[in-house]
Order: sequence, then C-alpha cells, then structure tokens
Amino acid sequence: MDAIRLEAISKQLGEREVLSDVSFTVKQGDIFGYLGPNGAGKTTTIRILLGLLQPTSGKATILGDDVSRDEARRKVGFVLESDGLYDNKTAEENLWYYTRIYGMAEPAERIDRVLSLVELRDRARDKVGTYSKGMRQRLALARAMTHNPELLVLDEPTAGVDPSGQMEVREVILNMAHKEGRTIFLSSHNLDEVQRVCNRIALVDRGEIKLYGELEQLQRERSGNEVEIETTEAIAEPLLAELKSLSRLGLRERKGKVLTFAPQEGVRIPDIVSLLVGRGVEIEGVSKKEASLEEIYSAILKEVEPS
Amino acid sequence: MKGMLVVLRNDLGDTLHSKSLLIVVSIIGALIVAAAVGVPIALHSWLAKGPAWEEAKPLLELCIGLAANYVPLIVLFSCMATWATDPIAKEKAKGPIESLLATPLTARGVWIGKSLAIFLPAYIIGLSATLIVILTMNLAAILPTTGHFVLPLAAAFTSFLFLPLFMLALVMVGIIFSLITNPVIGQTIIIFVGVVLMQVVGQVGGRILWLLTSWDYALYNLAGAVLLGMIAFSLSRSLTKEKIILSSKGRWA
Repeated sequence: MDAIRLEAISKQLGEREVLSDVSFTVKQGDIFGYLGPNGAGKTTTIRILLGLLQPTSGKATILGDDVSRDEARRKVGFVLESDGLYDNKTAEENLWYYTRIYGMAEPAERIDRVLSLVELRDRARDKVGTYSKGMRQRLALARAMTHNPELLVLDEPTAGVDPSGQMEVREVILNMAHKEGRTIFLSSHNLDEVQRVCNRIALVDRGEIKLYGELEQLQRERSGNEVEIETTEAIAEPLLAELKSLSRLGLRERKGKVLTFAPQEGVRIPDIVSLLVGRGVEIEGVSKKEASLEEIYSAILKEVEPS
Repeated sequence: MKGMLVVLRNDLGDTLHSKSLLIVVSIIGALIVAAAVGVPIALHSWLAKGPAWEEAKPLLELCIGLAANYVPLIVLFSCMATWATDPIAKEKAKGPIESLLATPLTARGVWIGKSLAIFLPAYIIGLSATLIVILTMNLAAILPTTGHFVLPLAAAFTSFLFLPLFMLALVMVGIIFSLITNPVIGQTIIIFVGVVLMQVVGQVGGRILWLLTSWDYALYNLAGAVLLGMIAFSLSRSLTKEKIILSSKGRWA
C-alpha cells in the first residue's frame, strides 16, 4: 500500500489554478522530497493531504484512506510552515494538548520519549516562547511524533533555522526515518537538504509536476556522458590548448585540477586517460559526473520558463 | 464531542491564566462592590421612610429587574468583547489554528469549544455578580425593612437563563465570523449587538416600568436566543476547515 497517493489533483483558488492535475505516489519507507519555488503549490498540496483544503478534482489517499477521513489524519504527523506551537505553554503542555486531541490514554511516557528523541527533555518545562527557532522546529517534530503516526508530512522544517539548527533538525528527521521507521514527506526549498536525506523526489512548478522519481535514477538520467578526470597537478596551458583542439574529446571545462569531458561517440574514457598519461599527466581519479539536484532543478525550471 | 471538550479545556485554561481575566474581574469587582454598597444604602434610606408595601413593591421589583438585566448583560458583554477576538486573531496569524485543524478535530468542534471557553467564564462571573447585587439589595435593605424577598421569577429566568442563552448564541455567531473572516468582524458583531441590547434594556426599563420583570420580556430574550441560535446553526453549516485556512495569514502560500 502506498503511503501517499495523489491522482490528478487540481485545486482552484479564486481565479487561479494553484494545482493542475498533480499525481504522484510516496511509498512506505520513503523519504520523499517535494521541491518547488515559492508559490509553486507545495503548501497547497500539503494542505490537501492534511484535509485542510478540498481538491477541486482528483483523489488523494493516505495509507489507503481518503484524506477527508479522520482515519487518514490519525495516521499523519505534521510540521507546517508555521510551527503552530503555543508560546505561553511549556513544551510538555504543548505536547499534552495534542495527545488529548488524538485521544491517547496514558501519554506521559510517549511525551518523554519524543522529547528525548529531539533532545529537549531538559527544557520540557520551559515556555516555548523562550525557545530558539531550531528548538521550536525540533519541538514541532516531537509534536508530530506524539501519536506515533506512520507518516510524517513536513513543510519546510528547516526554514529560518540557523545552520547548526538545520543540522539538528535534519538529524532528527533521519532518526525518525531510520530508527523509528516512518515514511517522510518533506517539502523544502533547501536542495542540499533534500539531496542529503531523500531517496525520491517530485518537483512542482506553477501547480504542475515537472519531475518525479528516484533521486539517484534522475541524477543518472540527467548526467549525460560527462566524465571528470582529476589530476595531481593543474595541467599546463599548451596541453590544455591541445585537448581543446581535439573536439572529439569534448573538453567542457577545467576547474583547478579537475577536467570535465563529454566525449563524442566512439571515444572511450580509457582513450582520454591514455592520452593524458602519455603527455606525462598523473591521474588522481576518474569519475562519471553525476548531476547535482541543484543542476537538475535549475535545468527543469529553465525548461519551463516562458519565453 | 470529545475534540470539542479538549479545545474547551485548553482554551478555558488559557482564559483562566490570562491577564485580561484579572483586569476584567478587577473592574467588574469594583463596580459590583460599589453597586452592592450604594444601592442598598439608597434603598434602605427610602424604605426607612415607611412607604406602604403595595406602593414600594413595583419600584423594588423594577430595581431588582434592572439589576437582574443590566448586571449580567454588562458582565457577559464585557467579557465576551474582551476574549472573543484576540486569541483567535493570534492563533490565525501565528499558525496554531492550522495545526489544530490538521488533526482529527472538526471545524465545528473547534468553533463550539472556543465559543464555550469564552462564554462559560463570562457566565460564571456574570452569575456571581448578579447574585451578589440581588442578594445584598434584598438582605441589606429590602428584607429587614419590608420582610419580603424581592426577585420576580420572570426576571430570575431572564437573568440566569434566557439572557445568558442569548449571549451564548451571540458569541457563537461572533466566533464563526472570527474563524471564517477577519476576527475583528466577529468582535464588531458582538459589540454592536451588545450595545444595541443595552440601549434597548435602558429604553424599555425607563419607559415601560413593568416590562423588565415580566414574562413577556423573558420570552423576548428566549426568542432572541433561539433566533440567534438558529443563525449560528445555519452559519455553522458553511463552516469548513478550508474557509478558516483561507481566511488566515499566508493563504496563498
């Protein structure tokens, strides 16, 4: 059973179509990255998943239940764009409130456990108004976990958090996925973060899904045939000129000691290596260049930019 | 139902720990003490002149009727106008309302819980204040000099039941508007209806002396409560999570 299934979801808000025919699935155990620029429709998708907005058309299910049903909401923990914590309450009181909403019988032990998981046990009785942004996000993650949900929906959980706070939040997310075995739907602007933690992604822009699939596979598909050869020392200018003149090698760029080639058909990587070695160059390493998520993201957004 | 009780419990706790409660109770307390001291003294000095019971009774009933109508009205109105908007405005602007609605709570449960959390403390304060004023008027002035305890049954029903029911329906209408539009609109509705009602009570009490303690007036209050209740119920049918979310900050995000 899929953790999340969206089938041809569209959403009209006023005159504007915020989502158009959005379909994707998130498998159980995935850490799924949901990417897109501001106003692309990420938050609207999340609001539909959480039953806060009704889709104009299409169907959305969570672990087999329609998102409009209570059962679906009981299976989801969430951190929304704004953490939704009560400043005038302590961390414990915030969590107690949610355990009552979810009708948990004896939640004290669970509260203690999730506070430990996000390393806030020693600040449990402090008012949330005194917390830093990073601590608030960790508490929001703890709140998302209190009722032991199978799926976590996280909307920009590291937005506005300083780098060390981001690392802490990321650590908590990975713990939730790997130690607690949760499926995670992570909406983020932070491409580096998504690349570090997610195994599958979808890219939404102007309400439409532009890219969707396994991150590694997408990286491979988008990489082309580029090869990076690292040398022990930066190569001399005459050799560089010679390599450039051999157009079939397809020398793309030189960055310090790294040369990037996109060889034409028929040219094998060992041929390039032999050529360099023959010119007295010492090779440090050879690797097939993998497109970064940032490169894929930029390329997709450029493709869809109106001319 | 269970979700509504959770919201009620949480919001009641917030109200009881708020500074605004202390301020409201202090102001109302000072006014009630002044009324509970001043009115019996005035009544006592008038009754000491020995007017006949038949002559004094209508005037005493009017005094009790005015107290039974005005005190709960002013107290309920002040509390509701103070508490009805600010917490919801903050929750909508800072995000807790969106998080609440993303749980299995229903929009209706949130609405009823929040409305009751405003109404119940206001009702308890109003009831206490009214009882203090009516009891001191009777025990300190009327009973010792006339031997009678004056509290017309119709006025009692109006004061302790029908008027509070009207105010409960009013706060429920106000909270719906606070949830699905700008919270200031909800507050404006409560203040507008409250002020109009105070004017009506003042005008009616001054012109038709017997009316405030009559069953007619009690039933007008009940009819008003039923009418507002029906308006609240009908509005609640269009109360959805989507409307609350879209009226909150950052709706197009």
